[in-house]
Order: sequence, then structure tokens, then C-alpha cells
Amino acid sequence: MRAIGRWIDERLQLSALVTAFLDRPVPRQVGWFHTLGSATLFLIVLQVVTGIALSLAYVPSPDHAYESIAFIDTMPLGAVVRGVHQWGASLLVLVVGLHALRVFAWAAYKYPRELNWVIGAFLFLVVLAFAFTGYLLPWDQKAYWATVVGTNIAGQAPLIGGAVLELLRGGQQLGAVTLARFYGIHVWVLPAALIVLVAVHLFAVVRQGIAAPPRLVPLAQPMLGESRRAAYEREYAAEKHVGKPFYEALLPDAIVALILLAIVLAAAVIIGAPLEERADPNAVGYVPRPDWYFLDLFQLLWYFTGELESLLIFGFLTVAALVFVLVPFLDRNPARHPRNRPFALNLMGATVVAVLGLTYVGATAAPSGLPVVPAVAGMSADELAGLELFNAQGCTACHSVRGVGGSAGPALPEPDAKWEAERVRRLIVSPEDEEMPAFDQLSPEELDRLVAFLLSLKPGSAP
Amino acid sequence: MDHEPQPGPRNRSRRTFVLRVLGVIAAQLGLGISAPVVGFGSAPSWRARTPPRLLSESVVPTLRAQGWTSVGRIEDFEVGVPKRVAPVRRVVDGWVTREEPIAVYVVRRSGSKAVAFDPHCTHLGCPLQFVEGARVFLCPCHGGVFDSKGSVVAGPPPRPMVRYETKVEQGEILIGALEE
Ligand code: HEC
Repeated sequence: MRAIGRWIDERLQLSALVTAFLDRPVPRQVGWFHTLGSATLFLIVLQVVTGIALSLAYVPSPDHAYESIAFIDTMPLGAVVRGVHQWGASLLVLVVGLHALRVFAWAAYKYPRELNWVIGAFLFLVVLAFAFTGYLLPWDQKAYWATVVGTNIAGQAPLIGGAVLELLRGGQQLGAVTLARFYGIHVWVLPAALIVLVAVHLFAVVRQGIAAPPRLVPLAQPMLGESRRAAYEREYAAEKHVGKPFYEALLPDAIVALILLAIVLAAAVIIGAPLEERADPNAVGYVPRPDWYFLDLFQLLWYFTGELESLLIFGFLTVAALVFVLVPFLDRNPARHPRNRPFALNLMGATVVAVLGLTYVGATAAPSGLPVVPAVAGMSADELAGLELFNAQGCTACHSVRGVGGSAGPALPEPDAKWEAERVRRLIVSPEDEEMPAFDQLSPEELDRLVAFLLSLKPGSAP
Repeated sequence: MDHEPQPGPRNRSRRTFVLRVLGVIAAQLGLGISAPVVGFGSAPSWRARTPPRLLSESVVPTLRAQGWTSVGRIEDFEVGVPKRVAPVRRVVDGWVTREEPIAVYVVRRSGSKAVAFDPHCTHLGCPLQFVEGARVFLCPCHGGVFDSKGSVVAGPPPRPMVRYETKVEQGEILIGALEE
């Protein structure tokens, strides 16, 4: 064995390189937080390997995609491999996000590592693109509707929306062409980008050395007439040659990778990979919801409504993405310790809170339905029953009561309307305006309660 | 007699020259390979098309169907009340053509007129659900509401519900293509 190793090394002369790689010094403080980078790499490898395995049995065509996925689940270990790929994807989005936060908090994107932040930011976007394209492939309801909504969001972009939509879908419609396209992007285009970006990212990490955690008081203070940059140069040069050997830092990396593998395997075996009903464009009553990492975006669309929606949302997303990619050039503060960067750290905190908050609200929100007018104290049983009917019959779609409800009809009660029971009854059963549907299917008792509720809104009106 | 390359000024200019030529050739190779590939990949967004692009057709995910399809006899529909039908239509999906039931809401208007709606939200394409009592269509995604005429009643949808071309022939309601 050893002899074979020696024989190969004589030909390739790798051992010197490997030794230099393993023994090179890294900052002594490199610890558990730094494992996030290697954890990202590990999860990427896991995705590539399980993805290749899945491609052995998957068919990217609407006639067969769903069936081939269901078939994979029946193959020995098929459900496990698919589960690892799905749970690994979720974990990858999480870990790559945490890695970015760690780098940001440590100010490791500052000179001389600006370029590597930019590459990392693009890697983050590539990971999200993987998630988005991978989503459609099972061709189940969740996959299909998430892609309908996702591509339509892109299609709302001002000016270029239509072109972007067709670029994504491979045409105007979402169907066979889209699936083939997403598959090609998922297994060829994105991996190619991923490999190049990861290679450059890692090369830079090795070339530049791992950034030491920032000190409150820098090792090298600028000397008289010396620029901050030159002082940092000295600190950087000094740090590059001291520290512990890299193999020591690999130990926590390996332990974290083991833990992640255990988590993903456990999730894959115990929970498995969910698969909903086959995609059906004609479904009624299906409630589209994306996976957790796109819930924040989905939820955001609740707040950007109205004429300016598309402009606002795209302005916002474009600016957010640009700021993210260009962080090293926007942050001109030379300080590195978190305590000397209150603005940057507050911005990071606010972003994290916003993303978590939107995700939480999106995850717990019921499917949007009709507005519900709440009861108030002091209502009689009949009035309460009437309020329930008012909500259940969908009156709230068009009428608002105490500020809750739609605006197609007048807010009730109309201030100057003369209401008495008979008239209100008539207005409901045979409205004067054809804008309002006639609720002639209600029973007399139901009508009584509804009228009682409406009259209670207008104190002083005759019962 | 062999010459060792001399690091003289002549050789240096030769070196610059060769590298320039290599650069130009590399650029041409790159362009030659990527132009057709990028062109093919991005064609959906710039090729000319007939009929022209309709935005509403892109928002609703319903597959295009050809010809006229009957959705039932007009006397089976109550005036003003949307009714869900699922006519089987021949739909075209890329290289696949197949028969598929399509979800359509048909509303009979007074006399012998009818309109047919595609039940998808014009905001982001989510499937609409019809509420019997209020006679409104609800979107489960971001709170869009349409009335039984397909007009927006509440929420973010920018346009009324997408309709089908409709005609009534010998008491039979027929739907055609999606309208803008
Ligand atoms: C599709 C939208 C819509 C729905 C659903 C709807 N309405 Fe209306 N409603 C209207 C419009 C529009 C008017 C205004 C027309 C008019 O004044 O005649 C109106 C008028 C009224 C009025 C008369 C207001 C006044 O003072 O003149 C009453 C009362 C009323 N609606 C009650 C109800 C009740 C109760 C329900 C539920 C059972 C309901 N509406 C459902 C659209 C709607």
C-alpha cells in the first residue's frame, strides 16, 4: 500500500503540496464559527453526489417526472437519497447564510479579501438559484405552484419582466419546455458556475490565509505618517506566519461535517422527502406556499401592493442584492472589531430580524381568505349570530365594518342611509344595484339575525 | 544549428506579438462557441412570435388549447351565477399535445349570452376559489378577490380575471382561446 503510494507520489509529486497545505499556519483563534465555511463545502459536495445519484432515475418531462420521482421512492434507498438531497438543500441555504453572517460580523470582507466576499455573495445567489430550479423537478403541486408564483414575480419586473419570464420558462407557458429548462439549468449551468466560484473562493482563502478574528486594539498601530492600510499590511504579514497548523483547524470542521451528515440522514430516514399530489394547473382549493427559504419573499408581497408594487419590489430587491454583493466597497469604515462598527452590526441585526420575522409570519399565516370582522363586547346572541353570517357569507369581501373588509361596496353602515329592518332586508335579498349579489338563498331566520347585526351597527335606527 | 531563445528586445516584442495574436484567437473561439449557445438559450425572450405576446396569458398557467369546445347547454346555467365546468380540451405543451380537463367558470348573462373565466389570479397565477354565498373568487396567496363579473374587488390583482372567447350556438356554450 505504502509502496504504491510512494510510486504514485514519485510521478505526481503531490506530497510536498499536501504537507504545505496541511501544515500552513492559521490564526490560533480559528474555532467553531469558522466551521461554517467548510460545512457549506461539505453540504455542496453532498448535494452534488446525491444529485448525480437521483439523475440516474429521474426524467425531466411532465409526462414522467412525477412518476419517476415516485418510482425513485420505491427503489432501495431511493427515498433516503432523495431525502438527503431535499434536507441537504434546506440545510445548505441555512449554513451558507450563517457563513455569510459570520464573515460579516468578523469584518473578514475587508482588505485584502473584498473580492472573495463578492465571489461568496454570488455563490449564495447560486445556491438560491439551485433551490429555485430544483424545486420544480418533482412536478408535484408544491413544485408547480411555487414555480408559477416565482416566475410570475420575476415577470412583474418593470420593462424587462416579460422577457425575463420567457427566459425562465422557455416560452410564455409553464410546461414541458420549462421543466426541461429548469433541469438543464439545475444540473449543468448552475453546477458549472458553482465549481468555478467555489474553486476561486477556496483558492483565495488558501492564498490569503484565514482572517484572524478582529482585535479591539490592532496588533500594529499606524506609526507616524503611516497609512492605516500599511499598518494593516504589517499585521497581516505578521499573522500569516504564526498560528496553529491548519490540520488542527480541520478537526472541528470534520466534527461539524459529521454532525450535519447525521442530521440530514436522520431527517431523510425519519421524515423522508415529501411529495404532494401530481402537478395540476386546474386544481381548485390548492394553497400555494414556497419552502421556508422563500417564505420571506412570498410574505413581502403582502406589503408591496398597489400600483407601485412591481416597481417597489424590484427596486427593493435589486438594491438589497447590490448592497449584499458590494458590501466591501460600501463599508468604508476601516475598523474591524464589531464594537467599532455599530452601524454595520445594527444593519446586520435588522436584516436578520426582518428575514426571521417575515419567514415566521409567512409560515404561520393562514391561507388568505375573506376578511373577518371581530365581535365587540355587548352584542346580543342574535347579533353575534348575524355577525357570523356576515363573515361566513362573504359580505366582508365587499363591505367593511369598523374598518375591516373590502371596498367594492360601501362601508357599513352608510352614514346617511335610512335603515329600518324591512328596508335592510330588502337591500340584502334584492339589492338595488347589480354590483351586489342577491342573497335570496338565506332562510328568514338567517336574514333576521343578519339584519339585527347590521342595525346594531347604527345606534338609533328602529329595530 | 539550434538557437536558444535570446531574451533580447527582438524576442520580447515577438513575445508580445504572439500573445496578442493568441488573445485575439482566444476571443474569437470564445465568441464562436458562446454566440450560438447563448442565442439558443435566450431565444424564448427575443424571438418574434405570432400571435404576439399577451401578458395575461403568461400570468395564468393554463395551457393553450385550440378550437372551440362546448361547456354545456345554456339552459343548465342559472343567470348571473358562476358555475365550474371542466371541458376536456386538446392542449399543447411544448412538444406534447394531449387531452386534458380544463377548469373554467361559466356565467350565463341575461338571455342567450355567456362569459367564461379562467380561474387563476391575475396577480401571480394562484388558483382561485369560488365562494358560493358572496359569489366572489378568492385568491389563497395574497388576498385578491374578484366578483362574479371577474372584476377586482380587493387585493393586489392588477387586472380583471382572464376570459375565454365565448359564443352560443344552438343553445350550446362554446369557449375558444383566452382573451387578453
Ligand atoms: C360583490 C360585492 C358585494 C357583496 C359580496 C355584498 N355586497 Fe352589499 N353592496 C355591494 C354594493 C356595490 C352595494 C352598493 C349598491 C347599493 O347601494 O345599492 C351594496 C349595498 C349593500 C347595502 C345597502 C347599503 C345602503 O345603505 O344603501 C347593504 C345593507 C348591504 N350591501 C349588505 C350586504 C350584506 C349583508 C352582504 C352579505 C350577505 C353583502 N352586502 C354582500 C356589494 C356587495
